[in-house]
Amino acid sequence: MEAAIQVTKISKTFTLSRKQQKIEQSKTKTKVAVNDLSFEAYPHEIYGLLGPNGAGKTTTLRCISTLIKPDMGDILVQGKSVMKEAGDVRNAIGFLTSDMKLEDFFTPNYLFDYFSKLHGVPEDLAAKRKAALFHKFGIDRFAEVKVGELSSGMRQKAQLAISLVHDPDVIIFDEPTNGLDVLTAKVVTDYLIELKNEGKAIVVSTHIFSLVEKICDRVGIILNGKLKATGLLQDLVAPEDTLEDYFFRLAQEEGDIQ
Amino acid sequence: MKNIWTIFKKEWDRVIHDRRLVISVMLLPGLMIFLIYTFMGTAIENFTTVETANIAILNDTAGFKALYEASEDPLVTDIESITAEEVVTYQEKVDNEEWHLIIVFSAGFETYAGGVDKPGVTLYYNPNNPDSSSVFGRFQGYLITYQNSLAFELYGDTRYFILETSNTAIDPNQMMGLIFSSLLPMLTIMFLFSGAMSIGPESIAGEKERGTIATLLVTPVKRSQIAIGKVLSLSVLSLLSSLSSFIGIIVSLPKMLAYENLDASIYALGDYAMLLLVLFSTVFVIVGVISILSAYAKNLKEAGTLITMIYLVVIIVSISSFFSQGAQQNPLLYLIPIYSSVQTMTAILSFDESVLTFLMLTFASNLLYTAIFIFILNRMFDSERIMFAK
Ligand SMILES: Nc1ncnc2c1ncn2[C@@H]1O[C@H](COP(=O)(O)OP(=O)(O)O)[C@@H](O)[C@H]1O
Ligand SMILES: [Mg+2]
Repeated sequence: MEAAIQVTKISKTFTLSRKQQKIEQSKTKTKVAVNDLSFEAYPHEIYGLLGPNGAGKTTTLRCISTLIKPDMGDILVQGKSVMKEAGDVRNAIGFLTSDMKLEDFFTPNYLFDYFSKLHGVPEDLAAKRKAALFHKFGIDRFAEVKVGELSSGMRQKAQLAISLVHDPDVIIFDEPTNGLDVLTAKVVTDYLIELKNEGKAIVVSTHIFSLVEKICDRVGIILNGKLKATGLLQDLVAPEDTLEDYFFRLAQEEGDIQ
Repeated sequence: MKNIWTIFKKEWDRVIHDRRLVISVMLLPGLMIFLIYTFMGTAIENFTTVETANIAILNDTAGFKALYEASEDPLVTDIESITAEEVVTYQEKVDNEEWHLIIVFSAGFETYAGGVDKPGVTLYYNPNNPDSSSVFGRFQGYLITYQNSLAFELYGDTRYFILETSNTAIDPNQMMGLIFSSLLPMLTIMFLFSGAMSIGPESIAGEKERGTIATLLVTPVKRSQIAIGKVLSLSVLSLLSSLSSFIGIIVSLPKMLAYENLDASIYALGDYAMLLLVLFSTVFVIVGVISILSAYAKNLKEAGTLITMIYLVVIIVSISSFFSQGAQQNPLLYLIPIYSSVQTMTAILSFDESVLTFLMLTFASNLLYTAIFIFILNRMFDSERIMFAK
């Protein structure tokens, strides 16, 4: 099967301001956030990038989503290069992140239409999708309530629905359950599995082992910007071992833990 | 085009459906200008009470007499012929606000038949006394008409006599009226800026802070379309805000001019059109600056801080209209954004001779700055360092 996402040897280095240097406790002016990283993700699967804070997960996902450009290497999304065909990639991709907050002033209904138009979704199709997604997440009753007045769970579900207006084949989700209450988190993870079963290729990043065990088919372990291991969960972790133990052994090798 | 419109429409809806913003952006500027000037106007009107106009004339001529008698009401205009020795006494009276005006025709005024030594006419009045200023204004008008009528008798020279004015020393307190009229350009710029300031940052820095900029940037919409859509909508909204200021100016002009004893009808349609051009082109510059600062800032708070700093600079620049009597004459100064707008407005309000040149320089340079700002903004939307700064 052809990979929906093919990340090939990407690297990304940031220049740090003096303030950042202090925060990072770094003596150098640059920070290698992603270092020669490669992996693939296929349709019908959820690929998990597992790593601690600052490992380079968000940077990697932003590179896939064309928000930033890798300094080296390339990424093909459904065969289109993020470097040369960013427009095509954007059409195919849905980028979700738990730190995204919708504008308080508007209603879910308004924002869904707004992003549908920006994605060029025909109006009748957008209306059908909106009805289905809003029904699925129980937003329909709140469709005309301003985002600022919604409960936080409802707001997060609205964000999810609005990020998927164009029904993308490839879904990138940065820290999907971060900051979600348990009930909403379950709705989100159940929905990701449903999308996978529909044939979407999904990449999530997380630092939560249980989430990987619950929803991911394959996992890549990222430490200090490098991919230390990648493969099917059951191949990486022996039956008598746990993902957590496996991860900490890798971190020790890397020198992250003394 | 469709994308620009979609983005435009959303920014528009955000402001126009928000009652608080509509009031502060669309209604308040005009209302404030109107209220300030109405209040000041009423305060000053209280001490302008013309009853009788007292004019003393030395060496009055028949031609001039015919002129003013045709226009002045003989019941309230008291004209006295005085001698050269009396002039000093009457000047004292003018200084003490017991008399309004002295007109002195030089000796041998009527026998002049061309040549280098022109006769002169000197007016003496008290600018601290609004009644005196008012009478002075009228008679200065008659004299200019008189000067024109006499010029027909001369060949190749347009002026028969030299018109001079002198007056009682100006009392700083009485300068208030003048200051208020020079306050207008500054107030207008301040309202324009604060209007744009209350809607601009949210639209760009807000998207960055909320993380929705990523959702926007992963749509297939071009960065340039996002930049243009946002700047256009903010400009149109701010234009409405400037229209509000403009209406405020128009409604306040009669009051404002009352300080200088002028009639609002002295401003023609052309003057209003020029003011409007200045306001509109200034709005684009202001929105450009605010958008760039908002795009540069990491969050709304930082955007607020940066924009407030620029706002202070703008206020200081606008205050310049205070310290100059009339508009600056150096054309190069009209290439400095904001300053040029303030000076051009002053030039329009004070009938500066070069007003058209100033207006064109201001307008053209403002458009150029706007184009540059949009270009920069477009580049900023493309820059991951700026959009995803840590
Ligand atoms: N825009 C940026 N400028 C400078 N440094 C950055 C920037 N984005 C990320 N970094 C740094 O790169 C490293 C990886 O960050 P990130 O990809 O956000 O990690 P993760 O998502 O795994 O927590 C961190 O050290 C972070 O501070
Ligand atoms: Mg992250």
